[in-house]
Amino acid sequence: MKALVVDDSAVMRKVLIGALGRANIDQVDQAADGREAVEAAKANDYGLILMDWNMPNMLGIDAVKAIREMGKTVPIIMVTTEAEKSRVIEALKAGANNYVIKPFEPATIVSKIQEVLGKAAG
Amino acid sequence: MLAMKVEHINPFIEAVYELFQTMLEGTVSRGKIGVSAGSSNPRDIMALIGMSGHTRGTVALSFPTTTALAMVGKMLGQQVTIIDETVSDGIAEIVNIVAGSAKAKLVRDDDRPMDLSLPTVVRGNNYSVEYPSQAVWLEVPFKSSLGEFSLRVTFEQNPS
Repeated sequence: MKALVVDDSAVMRKVLIGALGRANIDQVDQAADGREAVEAAKANDYGLILMDWNMPNMLGIDAVKAIREMGKTVPIIMVTTEAEKSRVIEALKAGANNYVIKPFEPATIVSKIQEVLGKAAG
Repeated sequence: MLAMKVEHINPFIEAVYELFQTMLEGTVSRGKIGVSAGSSNPRDIMALIGMSGHTRGTVALSFPTTTALAMVGKMLGQQVTIIDETVSDGIAEIVNIVAGSAKAKLVRDDDRPMDLSLPTVVRGNNYSVEYPSQAVWLEVPFKSSLGEFSLRVTFEQNPS
């Protein structure tokens, strides 16, 4: 299974790729903004997407909407500093499957990944 | 006009503590909150991010080189020895996390969330920081297991 990590911070992408590795996902593509994410999602069938919110060119929330409008059902976890309840609701309404607020403990992101993939498999 | 109160910096201090309890897996303690004098001791690397919504403000974290290297190294799980784009990127993400975490604490549930700008990083050892428009910046020094750093925050009016 291949995953897509979307974050404008290269350091955060590396952190998330490490978490995916701990969840036994070693094939990972990267995107640095929402627009790149939409293009990558159009060209690939990912098993999971980790999506930041605040990015240049296109926000993560808009990328989630665009990916769902394509008919893609890939599980998407928002991984963002946006911690307000209204943001979480907005993301879930847009089609995100789960939500992780930065800063997170390494174990938290791994368990969220496993939870989302478990649900997707079930 | 200038209504920045000491208690409004508390969400940012809490955000720094949360960052150390989670991603940086270290200890941190704050020093005395004061009014920043600006150009004095801006440190080697500074990351700034703007916040806008029911109020507007800016948050800055400034680090000596050794602290910046240690923090980004901790995030990446590897030793980082030179200040480069990776370190700037990591420091930018740290100020983004601190501001994002704090902004949720600055609004009531029914308020529209504040927006964050994209972060900016300034580095070098020969720059000065000036505060035009009579802005008052509060400053909090921190000591941590990854080194010293400081937090500076300014708002144009009271966050409610």
